Amino acid sequence: MVVKTTIKLRRMKSVKKNKAQFKIQQMAFMLLAVTLFFVLAGVFVLTFKLSSIKESATEISKENAQLLVTKLANSPEFSCGEAFDYSKVACIDWDKVMALKQSEDKYKDFWDVSNIEIRKIYPDMGDVECTSSNYPDCGVIRVKEGGVLGAYISNFVILCRKDSIEGSVYDKCEISRLMVSYNPVS
Amino acid sequence: MDKGYLQISFAWLFAIIVGAFILFLAIYFSSKLINTGNEEISAKTGKEFGVLLNPLETGFESLKSSSILLPIESRIYNKCTLDGVFGRQLIQVSQKSFGKWTETDLNAGFSNKYIFSENPIEGKRYYILSAPFDFPFKVADLISITSQNKKYCFQDAPEDVADEISKINQENLYVNNCSARKANVIICFGNENGCNVYVDYNNGIVRKGTDSVYFEGNALMYSAIFADKAIYECQLKRLMKRVNTLANLYIDKANFVAGVGCDTNLNVDLLALINAADNFRESSDISSIKLLTDEMNNQNGVAMCRLW
Repeated sequence: MVVKTTIKLRRMKSVKKNKAQFKIQQMAFMLLAVTLFFVLAGVFVLTFKLSSIKESATEISKENAQLLVTKLANSPEFSCGEAFDYSKVACIDWDKVMALKQSEDKYKDFWDVSNIEIRKIYPDMGDVECTSSNYPDCGVIRVKEGGVLGAYISNFVILCRKDSIEGSVYDKCEISRLMVSYNPVS
Repeated sequence: MDKGYLQISFAWLFAIIVGAFILFLAIYFSSKLINTGNEEISAKTGKEFGVLLNPLETGFESLKSSSILLPIESRIYNKCTLDGVFGRQLIQVSQKSFGKWTETDLNAGFSNKYIFSENPIEGKRYYILSAPFDFPFKVADLISITSQNKKYCFQDAPEDVADEISKINQENLYVNNCSARKANVIICFGNENGCNVYVDYNNGIVRKGTDSVYFEGNALMYSAIFADKAIYECQLKRLMKRVNTLANLYIDKANFVAGVGCDTNLNVDLLALINAADNFRESSDISSIKLLTDEMNNQNGVAMCRLW
């Protein structure tokens, strides 16, 4: 009788122990699931936020390029000022830009755009890049190394320089396109 | 006697502790996320504010005015550093969120902007005054920022200054009858009594309390009026850095135009200007450089090929 009761009690204890172990296991799984849920939710929120930040950064870069291209021709490094006979708006001094090209390392981050390029439209001189040796018989002036890549905004400008015929100096102006490119944040 | 124990099973205890921990983490990260969001908005506003100043580049105008309206009450901190070739213009924006100013260390930086203002300026609508600075060639557009909360009145200003201010129609700038206009800041050109700012136009001095700064030309005068002394002096040093670079550019340009038979005879003066800009220490040095730039301007005006 006593032996039977002891065996019954042991069995009951063993069942209780198994139940407790099962509950702890259940709790551990639950905890793991909850942690995993929060981690995933956190990752999702961060990804969403990061993509919106990148989108904003690209939008600001684009806006900067758009606003800059309309006014860049008036900035001291580009503008004709009163160097030519008639003061003109949206006029770029080609001689000055060639000088600027030589100091491009100083102006590396000055305008906060990835590239600035001036392309002659008429007369069309193709893709011949201007250097001090072929100037002014060229078609493209790259203020920054590498040229315009990716997204760009452009504006029409007049490109003026001093020229001479038989010793007589005159102003020569040509129609050109000022292109400003920006790097979309990827 | 039986004691009434509160019996909590292991599962409950475990759940309470873990639950509290998870709740703590959730609240902590949420508040961090909100702070990051606020900082992000501040940084974005700062950068956008600077970008919106691009259209203020002047062409042939002597003075240009515009305004920017921010969605909420903000504080704009204007900082200036002399790092690099041109120095940097830094803008930090702090915005009001739930009655508190957001704290941020994020600066929006620009190398091609020169902003003159008090530090900080507070408000929702900001007025932007842009004036070209020629020294002797165009160096930059100087941007003076004021808040709608502050009204400025120019008393007894010289005719050209009064005309310029009247023409641009900036809502927080008035000319004459200052006592009747309830202006916060009265800028006097004649009698110094009862003024917040005194301008000695002939000697090129702007005095605010015990602080004095020196100017040459109207563009610098406006900047000196609207800016704190530290900002003004720092931006002037940055401008001299740009004068230096532009003078080098004009020397190179002179070599290009010499190729077509244009002799400008300005190289010696340009080198002297570079030297003077290099040695510039504070605004009181500006009048001595002005003598040189006036001479250069005269020479450029009569040159066969003008450089600027």
